[in-house]
Amino acid sequence: MPRPNISTGLASLLCVVMTAPGLVAGEPPDFDRDVRPILAANCFRCHGEGKPKAGLDLRTVASMLRGGETGPALDPRRPVHSLLLTMVTQGEMPPGKEKLAPKQIEILRQWLASDAVAKMAPKQGPGTSDPDRPHWAFQKPIKRRPPEVKNTGRIRGPIDAFLLAKLEAKGLTFSADTNKVTLLRRAYLDLIGLPPAPEEAEAFLKDNRPDAYERLIDRLLASPHYGERWGRHWLDAAGYVDNRLFDGDLATIYPNEGIWRYRDYVVRSFNADKPWNRFITEQLAGDELADWRNADKLTPPMRELLTATGYLRLIEDHTSEPQYGIDKRYDVVFEVMEMTSTSLLGVTMECCRCHDHKYDPISQRDYYQLMACFEPSYNVRDWRKPQDRFLPDVSPKEKAAIDQHNAAVDRQIGELQKNEEKPADLLKRVAELAASKKSYGKIQALWDVGPPPTSRLMRRGNVNTPGAELKPAFVKVLSQSGTTAVQRPAETQGTSSGRRLALAHWLTSPEHPLTARVMVNRAWHHHFGRGIVATLGNLGRSGSAPSHPELLDWLAVDVMENGWSLKRLHRQIMTSTAYRQSSRRPANTDAFAERLDPENHLLWRMNLRRLEAEIVRDSVLAVGGKLDRTMGGPPISITNPPDGVSEVKREPTPTSASRRSLYLFARRVYPLKILEVFDAPIMPVNCTQRTNSATVLQSLTFLNSTFVIEQASLVASRVRAQAGENGARQVDAAYQFVLTRPPSKGEQEKCQAFLREQNATYKKNGRSPDRAEGDSLTDLCHMLLCSNEFLYVE
Amino acid sequence: MFRSISRRDLLRQSGLGFGSLALAGMFQQAGMLSAQSEPAERRGDNLRPRPGHHPAKAKAVIQLFQNGGPSQMDLFDPKTELTRRNGQPHPEQVETFQLGNRNVLLGSPFRFARRGRCGMELSEIIPHLGSVADDLCLVRSMHTENNNHPFAINMMQTGKTFAGRPAIGSWISYALGSENQNLPGYVVLRDPAGYNTSGRMAWSNGWLPALYQGTEFGSSGNVVPHLRSPQPLPADAQNRRLQLLADLNEDHRRLHPRELDLDARIYNFELAARMQLAASDLLDLSRETAATRRLYGLDNPPTAGYGLRCLMARRLVEAGVRFVQVFPPISPSSQPWDNHGNLRGGLQTICAQVDQPSAALITDLKQRGLFEEVIVLWTGEFGRLPITEGSDGRDHNRHAFSLLLAGGGFQGGLVHGATDEFGYQAVENRVSVPDLHATLLHQLGLDHTRLSYLNNGRPERLTDPEVTGARVISALLQS
Repeated sequence: MPRPNISTGLASLLCVVMTAPGLVAGEPPDFDRDVRPILAANCFRCHGEGKPKAGLDLRTVASMLRGGETGPALDPRRPVHSLLLTMVTQGEMPPGKEKLAPKQIEILRQWLASDAVAKMAPKQGPGTSDPDRPHWAFQKPIKRRPPEVKNTGRIRGPIDAFLLAKLEAKGLTFSADTNKVTLLRRAYLDLIGLPPAPEEAEAFLKDNRPDAYERLIDRLLASPHYGERWGRHWLDAAGYVDNRLFDGDLATIYPNEGIWRYRDYVVRSFNADKPWNRFITEQLAGDELADWRNADKLTPPMRELLTATGYLRLIEDHTSEPQYGIDKRYDVVFEVMEMTSTSLLGVTMECCRCHDHKYDPISQRDYYQLMACFEPSYNVRDWRKPQDRFLPDVSPKEKAAIDQHNAAVDRQIGELQKNEEKPADLLKRVAELAASKKSYGKIQALWDVGPPPTSRLMRRGNVNTPGAELKPAFVKVLSQSGTTAVQRPAETQGTSSGRRLALAHWLTSPEHPLTARVMVNRAWHHHFGRGIVATLGNLGRSGSAPSHPELLDWLAVDVMENGWSLKRLHRQIMTSTAYRQSSRRPANTDAFAERLDPENHLLWRMNLRRLEAEIVRDSVLAVGGKLDRTMGGPPISITNPPDGVSEVKREPTPTSASRRSLYLFARRVYPLKILEVFDAPIMPVNCTQRTNSATVLQSLTFLNSTFVIEQASLVASRVRAQAGENGARQVDAAYQFVLTRPPSKGEQEKCQAFLREQNATYKKNGRSPDRAEGDSLTDLCHMLLCSNEFLYVE
Repeated sequence: MFRSISRRDLLRQSGLGFGSLALAGMFQQAGMLSAQSEPAERRGDNLRPRPGHHPAKAKAVIQLFQNGGPSQMDLFDPKTELTRRNGQPHPEQVETFQLGNRNVLLGSPFRFARRGRCGMELSEIIPHLGSVADDLCLVRSMHTENNNHPFAINMMQTGKTFAGRPAIGSWISYALGSENQNLPGYVVLRDPAGYNTSGRMAWSNGWLPALYQGTEFGSSGNVVPHLRSPQPLPADAQNRRLQLLADLNEDHRRLHPRELDLDARIYNFELAARMQLAASDLLDLSRETAATRRLYGLDNPPTAGYGLRCLMARRLVEAGVRFVQVFPPISPSSQPWDNHGNLRGGLQTICAQVDQPSAALITDLKQRGLFEEVIVLWTGEFGRLPITEGSDGRDHNRHAFSLLLAGGGFQGGLVHGATDEFGYQAVENRVSVPDLHATLLHQLGLDHTRLSYLNNGRPERLTDPEVTGARVISALLQS
């Protein structure tokens, strides 16, 4: 296998660093004297006069700053990370055998590191002139033909072609397919967030049909648990919480009543594989798609559409506090902007509140024009306090009838109570009347509260210094020319302004450069542990560069061409060779792939991934066999003891404490302790990406929390019910329940020895033979739950 | 000729001294064909103690993180001109954060007096800190980059205003490991009632291995949640369980070599077992004398909570923990130094909680001979403005703030730098947050230009010296 001669390379590099030949001692390199000659000799043939390749002209500093199709060659903010240097150091450029000498590269690097380049940052603020378009994410994605590869035997679909082409260019290839049982567990945890039960595993392993795996994926996609698993991913991006204020005080909770209906809407939408463009449209403008104001009866579809707008009602809202002024109202609107831009657009826009974006060509004007889409509903001059901003789950006419009925009942009760004496039958009559009162539920929705107000730019982001009046418009750099004006779509229902509906149409237009890319990038991240763009909430210039831009674009266009179906995308991804690879690194540290790409950016193997917080808890419940699979409904309360070690309440039913984590009361700052310990996000606004920590608190929680101990003992009961008192069969069953596989011979021996010795230890410590055996088995199940294998997806 | 060195080999060698590590780091760097030509260090993925780049003056840091933005002109930086011209307009329009500021000067309601032999001028509301003035190194010329809390907290903790990078405590545990293998290297002591602003963000490990994340220790009840089993097991049964777990995990690790997360998790189970013993000692106050209890104000409701955390911090560094981060009370606010209004009353309340225990920590460290090797850093994330917010408040100020350093080779009784006549901007001997970080690392035996970690193919450094121009401020140090 070819291997670069590293020691020689390093030696020459060191030599250059020390002597830097060709330079004037003590002076940074000069562009004309030192840098231009290198570029002229090696690069100008393609990137010079005439029609430069990839639109990149390297002859002047200005033209390098302007860049080509893959962006500017010079990044004045982070000069040593400029594309110019990356391409030559990675040997991508110049193409062919002749590369730059290490000393030439060093001169480029020193020049970039000098002040000279930092001072070249363009003086004028960003606009939307052509030089800004080159950033890949602002161009419409194009579906290019999947590249040709050598090893066509590993290609199961276009995804594999894109990945393998890059691997082969580096002399790498995919790892072998993983085994069937690993693939089974991977698919279960990825799609429904629960490990397979032993009988499900057995059925799959026995299924020898050639499409057994494809059938498995279809079964899992059809499971209602799929929506719970993938809905949770989206709820992170939307910033879903069950309380409406900041959650700074552990003991005080302000519930956002009925917001759980939105959570259930999300789960239903994922399960129905609602086209993503429709899903976005309902969440942004469901209220504008139905004439609910004039309806006689609020139909279930209308209710669904209003519930969808709960997406815009998850923002921390302090405006019920009387001391806060109009600035807090604006804070709500600003945070709506932040949440929608990071979850849907995949760009950060917060900075544009005060000034033009420093990195992306998005102006302050763009920001406030876009914000105007939300102002007819979040109207700071005609404000609804958060506790009053809900719609009844009946139509205005029904509500009027209910109110009228209740008022009449109240009058009757009042009449009756005028009597001085209160005989028993009168009290009974009052109680009957009171019981006859009707009520309605709350939908936390967003709707235009009146005609659109005047929108203005806020100078320096200060809401007390409003600037010029603005008309609503879309972000220019993300729009095709001449399509930025917001116009009321014809299908807008009722009296609504239609601005949010227009926004949804703009976002879901096939011309939009970001929406589909953001969607497929998120799905990719959840399947592989890292997005094609690693920064899920930021595809702008300050985000990371895509590892496989052509693949991202291909998937984005493909998903739009095929009805924006997420389930189809799962199938595409999960049936690829890339997804089915083994996650194991080669044992040999010298292995070529390991040295060339230790971080696995090119996906030459599957990534080993830790389960997310909710899935950790849900999986423990599942193997304990007592998971309460009830779906939906009001959130299950959690306790709030001063030490913060909260637990789930056994209310309203004794099994409520065993509901899936999705259904537990979601707090902005204080989620259930075990979830917090496993990195459940704090939600000041939303969470575009979770962290995956490995802390000692996690280990302690698994060793000593009542929750895990109880579940371990449930696993032990299941094991004993199945295997009886035979040690070997117990070990087999425990492995099947917890890890979905039989133990190896070595593991079987170790575990049996453990059972024997632990049993003896307990007896020695005075426990009865029965209890000693039971405790030993519980210990075994407990340690399997604690094992790394249980916590990770291979 | 170099032999190929794996990360695992590197771990094993990490006790062998810096020379081999640096070389290995350079080798790895070259082997990865990275875009960078600068070598990146790899300082190990465990907490075993390891030497720095040069002999250290200090071995541990206690950060008393006074979040909210303590008001320099009311605590540390007397401004007679500000008091004299109270009510007059500030000559220029100052940068504000909140609405509702008037550009009108607000003199301090507090008197200042010269304290200690050094004659350092300090406010009357921090009498206890005044009593240790000769041990304090007061920097009056700090400045930072953002005037909003979360971003300025990120800056103070990670050197950049945006979230996602490792906190300085994580960097230091990564660089030096810990002197105690039974406790985490980086411990956070917060108000048991809840989190301060930014919560867990203020002790994040960023992209450093999770092993270096700050670990929260409670100061009441269980030191750490779930430290003990609710039904105690016989010791030999507990050990046998952990032995089985270690065996199973080791088999699993062999199938997944070089997965740092798995290594960290295996280490954490070992640590969990040892911590049960070590951590339970922390709350055992029976070893402390009545005099010590009084010193920290443990029997006085206002000082009891924060005092206990300061005392625990001392015990933790005594036990060999590398970095301890102590937070002030979160009542009445999760950013207790954020005096947008009621400046006088607000400062009196928080000073009554924080002043005595902060000074007590310094006195106690001295009494125990720990002062020379432990750095105490008393700082907020930014300062406050000389102008009036509302009728009696001060808004955020990124252009000037004051902080205190003590012990660990910092020069006691020293005042460094100065602000303008009103305290709006640092004008003399300005010190940036990266300068502070560089100086702290220097005292711990670390060269901030060399301490690095390879992230996404790029050697990252806490101080990012090429961009920030960070330098060691030797004027703060004992000669």
